[in-house]
Amino acid sequence: MPFYKCSKCERIWQYPLSECPFCNIELKKMASGQNKVIAVSKVFIPTIKHPIVPYFACVVEDENKNKWAHKTVEEVKEGDKLVFESNADRNAVGIWRIKYDYADAIEKALELIGGIDLNENSKILILPTLISANQPYFRENTSPEFLTSVLSFLFSKKIKLENIKIATQSFTELSVEAMASRSGLLDVCLKNKITPIDLSKSNFVKQGNLEIVEEIVGADIVLNLGMLKAGNVAATENVFRVLKKENYLGLKYLNSEKDIAKELEKALPNLVSLGEAEYIQTSDGFIAFLGIILASRNFINLDRVLNEIVSQKELPEIIAQINLEEIPIAGRAIKEIKLNINKI
Amino acid sequence: MYIKGVGMTKFDYSTKPWWQFAYEAALDALKDGNMTIADIDAIVFASMSSPAGGEHQTHKVSFLSDLFKTNVPIIEVTSVCGGGGVAFWTALQLQQYKNILVLASEKFADNKSETTTDWILSAAEKMTEQTEGMLFPTQNALVWQQYMKKYGASMDDLSLIAFKNHTNAALNPKAYFYKKPVDLEKVKNSPIVSSPFRLMDCSLSVNGGAAIVITQEETDVKIVGSGFATDYILTFGREDITHFKATRLAAQKAFKQAGIAVADINVAEVHDAFTSVELISYEDLGFANEGKGAELIKSGKINLGGVMPINPSGGLKAKGHPISVTGLAQIYEITNQLRGRCEPERQTNPLPKYGLTHNIGGAGGSVTVHIFERNN
Repeated sequence: MPFYKCSKCERIWQYPLSECPFCNIELKKMASGQNKVIAVSKVFIPTIKHPIVPYFACVVEDENKNKWAHKTVEEVKEGDKLVFESNADRNAVGIWRIKYDYADAIEKALELIGGIDLNENSKILILPTLISANQPYFRENTSPEFLTSVLSFLFSKKIKLENIKIATQSFTELSVEAMASRSGLLDVCLKNKITPIDLSKSNFVKQGNLEIVEEIVGADIVLNLGMLKAGNVAATENVFRVLKKENYLGLKYLNSEKDIAKELEKALPNLVSLGEAEYIQTSDGFIAFLGIILASRNFINLDRVLNEIVSQKELPEIIAQINLEEIPIAGRAIKEIKLNINKI
Repeated sequence: MYIKGVGMTKFDYSTKPWWQFAYEAALDALKDGNMTIADIDAIVFASMSSPAGGEHQTHKVSFLSDLFKTNVPIIEVTSVCGGGGVAFWTALQLQQYKNILVLASEKFADNKSETTTDWILSAAEKMTEQTEGMLFPTQNALVWQQYMKKYGASMDDLSLIAFKNHTNAALNPKAYFYKKPVDLEKVKNSPIVSSPFRLMDCSLSVNGGAAIVITQEETDVKIVGSGFATDYILTFGREDITHFKATRLAAQKAFKQAGIAVADINVAEVHDAFTSVELISYEDLGFANEGKGAELIKSGKINLGGVMPINPSGGLKAKGHPISVTGLAQIYEITNQLRGRCEPERQTNPLPKYGLTHNIGGAGGSVTVHIFERNN
C-alpha cells in the first residue's frame, strides 16, 4: 500500500498529491515492505459490493505504522502477514486493487505474474485500446491516466524513450487520428514526445495463417492495454489489432475469432496484457466502478477472469468453454472482489 | 439564539416520500412555536435519501420552496449521519435571520438491506474502505477491538448500553421500538454481524423527519454552546484509533462557548450508531475518564432516573437512525426534556438545567456538539 510523505512537515497521505499543501514541496513515496494484520473482523453482512459472506475485514500496518484496510476470504488472525505470491505460469492471471496510484498498481500486477524482463535497452511496443472517437469517461479506450502510468512505470525502469512505441490501427471507418485525439491518448503521446504509429501503414510478416505487424517482431515486450468490458473480450480483441485488417477479416470469415485468438496467443510469446478495470462498461454500456487491474501473459484467460469477477452470465464464445478452475490466480482472490456489476 | 419550536415524525418503515416526512416535521415544529411558515426567514435542510428506491431528488431546496410556497433562502447541507447536527450548526451562523427552520428528512429504508447498507457504505472512503468491505459496523467493530485491547472493556459492557437504550425507547411514542422492550439476554444472544459486534450493537436504519425552529427572540430554551469539528475519512489513518478526535474538539468548543463544566450537564443525547460509539463518546465528551466508559454504564448513573440520563429517547439504537434526521431528533428530545414535556417515565427529574446533543457523521469524520440551557 503506497503512502506519500512531506519530508518537511512529515504529514502522510495515501493520495499521490503533487505537493504538500502546507509546505508546497513534492511528496516522497514511502518505502514499505512489511505488513502485519493488527485487527480482524469477520463480516456476515452481504452488500451489493460485497455479496459473498463471510469475509474478513482487516486493519493492516506496515513498518512505518501506516495502516490500511484489507479484505480477504481466507481466515486471518492478528499478527499474520499478508503474502501475495507471484505465479510465473504464462496462463496465470494477476489481480490487484487500484488504490490511488495507477503506476503502483501496474507494477504490482506485473509482479504477480512473475514480472517482465526489462533492461535499459528493452524495446517496448504498447498497444492501447483505441476503438472509438469518444471522451475517456466512456471507458471504451485506454484512459489517458492509464497510458501515462504505463509510461511512468517504463521510465522508472530506465527504458529509453526512443525504445518505446505506441501503436494501433482501426478496424472500422473511424480514423486512428480522430480516435486518438478525442480519447486523450494523442495528448499523452505528444506530452511524452512519442509519435504514435498507425499499424495499418506498417509492414506485415506472415506467421502461419497470421499476418502480423512487423513492429511486434522487433519488440522485446508487447504491452497489450485492454480496456476491459463486462460481457466482452476486450483484451483479446485488442490483440487482433496486430493483424493485417484483411487477414483478420478473412480468418474471421473462414474460421472464427476464437481460432484467431488461440493462434495469436501462441504466436506472441512476448505479449503481456494489462487489463484496465477501474471503471468498466457493463454489457449494457453503462459505466461501473470496479477498481481493479488484471495482468496476464494469456489475454484470453484475462478476459475470462474479468467476466467471472463481474458475474457475467452469458460469456462470449471465445471464453465460454474455458474452465476457470484451470486458470492460476495470483494476488487478490476472485471471491474477494466478485460482484454483480449490473447491480452497482 | 433560542429554540422556538421542535417537531418530529414517528420513526418507522412507512413508505411515505422524503418530502412528506419533511412537511410533517416542519408543521409540527411551527405549531410548537406558535408560528406559520410565513414567519420563517431562512431554511437549512439535511438529507441523503437513498436513490435505491426511487427517492432520488437533487435540488431539494427548490422542491421545499414549492412545498412551503416560500422564496426564502434554503441551504442544503449533507454530512451523512451527522447532517442534522451540521445543519443546526450552519443555521446558528446565519445571525442576520430572525427565525430559521432547520429541517431534515430521510426515506432511507426503501430497498433490500444489501442496497441500503451499500448506500450507507458510500459515506466511507472509496478506494480503500469501500472496496475492502469496511462497512460501518465493521469499522466500528475494529475500533472497539482496539479499545478493548487497550482498556480491557468487554462486550457485556456494550450489551448494557443496548439494553438501556431499548428500555428507554420502549417508553418513547416516537421511537421505532416503542412498547417493544428487549431484554438483556436477547441483546447478548443476537447474531454476530461483524465480529465482535452483534446485531443488537447496531442502530436501526429507519425513515423519518425532524425540525427545529431557532430564533433571535428570547424563549425558554437557549442555545449556549455549539461546536463542530471534522477528522480524516480514513478511520485507521488517524493517530488514535480508539477515540474520536472530532468529538473531543467539538465538545471543547461547545463547553467553552457555554461557559459551563461537563458536570453541569443534566441530560444528554449521545450518538450511538453502535453501542461502542456511545461508550467511547462518554470519554470523548468528558462524561468519563479515558478508559473508564464501561464504569459509567455499569454505574447506572446514565439510566432513566440516574443523575444524568444518556439517550432517554432510546437513541439511534432503539428510537431509530434516519441518517441526517438524527441530529435534529436529538435536539427535539433535549428541548422537550428541558421543558419538562416528556412522558413522565422518561422525564429527567429534577427538571434539567442543561442538556447536550452529540451527532457524528461517518466513523467520527464530522461531529457536532450542542449545549442547551433552560431559560426561566
